[in-house]
Amino acid sequence: MSQDDLYQEAADTYGSALDRLARAYEADPETRHDLLQDIHLQLWRSLEYFDGRCSLRTWVYRVAHNVATGHVVRQSRIRKTLASIEEIEAVPSNDQSERAAGQNQALERLSMLIQQLKPVDRQIIISYLEGMDASSTAEITGLSASNVAMKVHRIKNILRRWFHEGGFHAG
Amino acid sequence: MPDELPMNDPKKIWQDQPTEPIKMSLDEIRRKAEKFQTKSRLKVLMGMVIGLFVCVAFARMSAEIPDIVPRIGWGMLSLWGLYCAYATYKWIWPRRLAGNATLTTSLDFYRSELERRRDYERNIWRRSGLTFCFAGLALALIPELIPALQTPRLLLKAAPFFTLLAIWFVLFFYVRKRNRLKLQREIDELTALEKN
Repeated sequence: MSQDDLYQEAADTYGSALDRLARAYEADPETRHDLLQDIHLQLWRSLEYFDGRCSLRTWVYRVAHNVATGHVVRQSRIRKTLASIEEIEAVPSNDQSERAAGQNQALERLSMLIQQLKPVDRQIIISYLEGMDASSTAEITGLSASNVAMKVHRIKNILRRWFHEGGFHAG
Repeated sequence: MPDELPMNDPKKIWQDQPTEPIKMSLDEIRRKAEKFQTKSRLKVLMGMVIGLFVCVAFARMSAEIPDIVPRIGWGMLSLWGLYCAYATYKWIWPRRLAGNATLTTSLDFYRSELERRRDYERNIWRRSGLTFCFAGLALALIPELIPALQTPRLLLKAAPFFTLLAIWFVLFFYVRKRNRLKLQREIDELTALEKN
């Protein structure tokens, strides 16, 4: 398959997932649009080198995460307020356990949670929310599958707390 | 209630969110890639032109001044302008994406980005050629300042400038060091995470 065909397939199959990924990295709509364009641009350029050593999905997510991580690092946010999954898990949940009033609010809370995570943890939570298993996430991030599984376990705890104690069944 | 189920499942909430995937034709992508490359290069060219302009301007000053010490000072500043133009090209000129750049895992990529920033913070003095700049300034201005400083009134006038310069030096080194340490801590955390 040519670079152009691969890009078309990737854009058709993962276009929505890439949009969601950009939302997880950038809250401002205008900057997010630029970031998404950059992801598509870099994806197209990178596919010149695609040799099938990994699946197209892994490739697409790696490129997208790398471009978005570069964006976060460039914006220097890494040095300001980002936290790890472990740090967020340790925060008492007094003001977080209130029940979300609707799906929009729940989505807003979820996005807020993701946007305050450090890049590697952000990649793991996005992969989890996109329905990937631990080994696929490990292939994208470079962490071991057991490490990913441990972090996913923590993510589930946090999500349970953030949404409402008892009501949410993270699966 | 229809809202009940999605609220209970973050995966569903996440995947069901309204999206606006970008629809770009291949021609459009190519155009944007070229435009992006041109824009980045123009930005760098602008930096290089400014560096060369500084170089020529200081070289002219150096040629016009009869005293040897200030002449060397302006000459050094002229070399500094030239060095800045070269450094802009060397460090910032956008190059083609390396073939294996996207084969790296996200963890490796993130670490390399952090290391790049840490090295930038570490070498900013050298890469900006600030030794040339300050040595040149000192040689160019101090011979003029020495007679003036013997007058207390003039000394008083110059004091705010030197105070600000001293504050700038302290802040420059303090902020760089703090940033470098934070980045190093982040890199160490990633290394520990990888070893687990």
